Amino acid sequence: MAVKDYLRQRFFPHMWCPGCGHGTILNSLLRAIEELELEKKDIVMTSGIGCSARISGYVDFHSLHTMHGRALACATGVKLSRPHLNVIVPMGDGDALAIGGNHFIHAARRNIDITAIVMNNRIYGMTGGQFSPLSGVGIKATTAPYTTIDNNFDVVELATAAGASFVARSTAYHVKESTDILKQAIQHKGFSVVEILSQCPTHYGRKNKEGDAVSMLELHKTNTAKIGSKALEKNPVLTPRGIFVDTDKPEYCAEYEKVIAFAMKEKTS
Amino acid sequence: MALSFIDGNEAIARAAVRAGCRFFSGYPITPATTIYQQMLKLLPPLKGVCLQGEDEIASIGFCLGASMAGLKAMTATSGPGISLYSEQISFALSGEIPLVIVDVQRLGPSTGSATKGADGDIQFLRWGSSGGLPVVVLAPVDVRDCYILTMHAFNLAEQYRCPVFIASNKEIGMTRESIEIDSLDTPDLLTRKYCPEDQPYLPFQVPPGTMIPPFLPIGGSRLVRQTSSTHDPEGYITADTDIIGQVIERLDKKLVTNVDTFTFFEFDSDPDAETLLLVYGVTARAAKTAVEQMRKGGKAISLLILKTLYPVPEDFIKQCINEVKRVVVVEMNLGQYVREIERLAESQHVSHFGKMDGELISPELIQQVIAL
Repeated sequence: MAVKDYLRQRFFPHMWCPGCGHGTILNSLLRAIEELELEKKDIVMTSGIGCSARISGYVDFHSLHTMHGRALACATGVKLSRPHLNVIVPMGDGDALAIGGNHFIHAARRNIDITAIVMNNRIYGMTGGQFSPLSGVGIKATTAPYTTIDNNFDVVELATAAGASFVARSTAYHVKESTDILKQAIQHKGFSVVEILSQCPTHYGRKNKEGDAVSMLELHKTNTAKIGSKALEKNPVLTPRGIFVDTDKPEYCAEYEKVIAFAMKEKTS
Repeated sequence: MALSFIDGNEAIARAAVRAGCRFFSGYPITPATTIYQQMLKLLPPLKGVCLQGEDEIASIGFCLGASMAGLKAMTATSGPGISLYSEQISFALSGEIPLVIVDVQRLGPSTGSATKGADGDIQFLRWGSSGGLPVVVLAPVDVRDCYILTMHAFNLAEQYRCPVFIASNKEIGMTRESIEIDSLDTPDLLTRKYCPEDQPYLPFQVPPGTMIPPFLPIGGSRLVRQTSSTHDPEGYITADTDIIGQVIERLDKKLVTNVDTFTFFEFDSDPDAETLLLVYGVTARAAKTAVEQMRKGGKAISLLILKTLYPVPEDFIKQCINEVKRVVVVEMNLGQYVREIERLAESQHVSHFGKMDGELISPELIQQVIAL
């Protein structure tokens, strides 16, 4: 199936700004789905609110466009009701880790088989450039005109500590790497977190003098390095990319099946 | 015919399962927790899911996901939990997602008194969502009502694709009574209407002559679109003000114009009475005793026990109050449902008695109020 067949073309042009990284990430995601030869009806794209969350409107899968921060809660209900589905949850940094932070860590703790994609552009785009829990210190935002004093979460460390059994990071520059990681994340049985660094030239780039989309994409390249690479060894301040966690742990829906089996046995005995 | 000695919370759980509920999630909170405990006993042996959320926000979110996947779902909490449900009640309204929400009310405001009853959430249930669209609120009087109204609640949620509240009270939820379940007048079970296979599926397209869009489950064989944003019949986000206005009007009318078909009540009318005592919830029990005693004393009085509080069954209430000159509303709050009666009354004098101190309103107090 061609990638364009996964899109609801009637919804285009999309609402992302010129130079936004989110469309590129959507492209990587659709190619991953295409390469996995998944059926449209077996995919539920659940999202919250924000620029990233609009993805669920653009893709021709089952789509559940919910409330700000609550995508993982609704996705959990869907997955437990129909465990055979591929539930994919694209989220922005605010959606996933500010308002949705509690659901994020608890979904990871349960290790429920959902693929969470954090499209991290370090800013709230839709509402006009407010800082997020992933902005970090010293960033200019509409709600931080004197620069931020808030520390940021490291999504990889947070997801790992919370119990996610697949944790990875890539960027909107590394499109093929993103596709490859997303394929593995979707296939992984358990809670998968893929952070993909995105760029918001409109709000973040302009305020923080990172230039236009092209120069921001350059930064994805120059500020990151693959795990195990010489570049990272030489320059450990670079942001590592790759798969950090890929472990086999009991998955929540499968464990719940055991609860049911036990309860049914108790009932009959 | 076996008698069951159960409390209101257990009756709700048993009725829910009988109504076909196969998904429950909640967060611990007194005095609603025993509903969860009962569901834990009942659901897993039926291959149902019973899940503890990280908070109330997650719990109701799980339910909405499950309902969209096609399961009948229920959650139960008390006032502080309803506060956290608010945004998702709005989503259930706009997305037309069937859901039964039990509020075992306790004395507020805020944390209040966890083990004291009140009916302080009545207007909150009606208005506690953004947009102000109508919801269904059913108010049980006793354990028997908990059972019957829960079955109706599931039917209404399925039939109208909307959230339905059961406004219980700590006193009903945690008091055991003997009931004979087999002899209860329970409704036939209804299930949401599915889109026929030979027809195209547009998620919010309403067939001519109806007000409810047919349903298909998320994750089924045909693709489903659901969104919390204003949407057109195809389920796409829209900014078209004509379409938005039509959808909102339909969401209002689908309940308000049909409330006559689900107005539950007990009306004990005395043709000689000049006074009507109007109550709901656990207060109705004291009201029955008060009316009985007053009639023994030779006073003519009518009693209306409302069990469908919202949408307000306006025509029915008007019909009842038109029989009298004076309406006395007694409720376990400082004056909430009386507001509805005041706006419906024409020539009748409406008076109110309410208190919120954690004590039930006694039959004696009701008699004193009516004698004033």
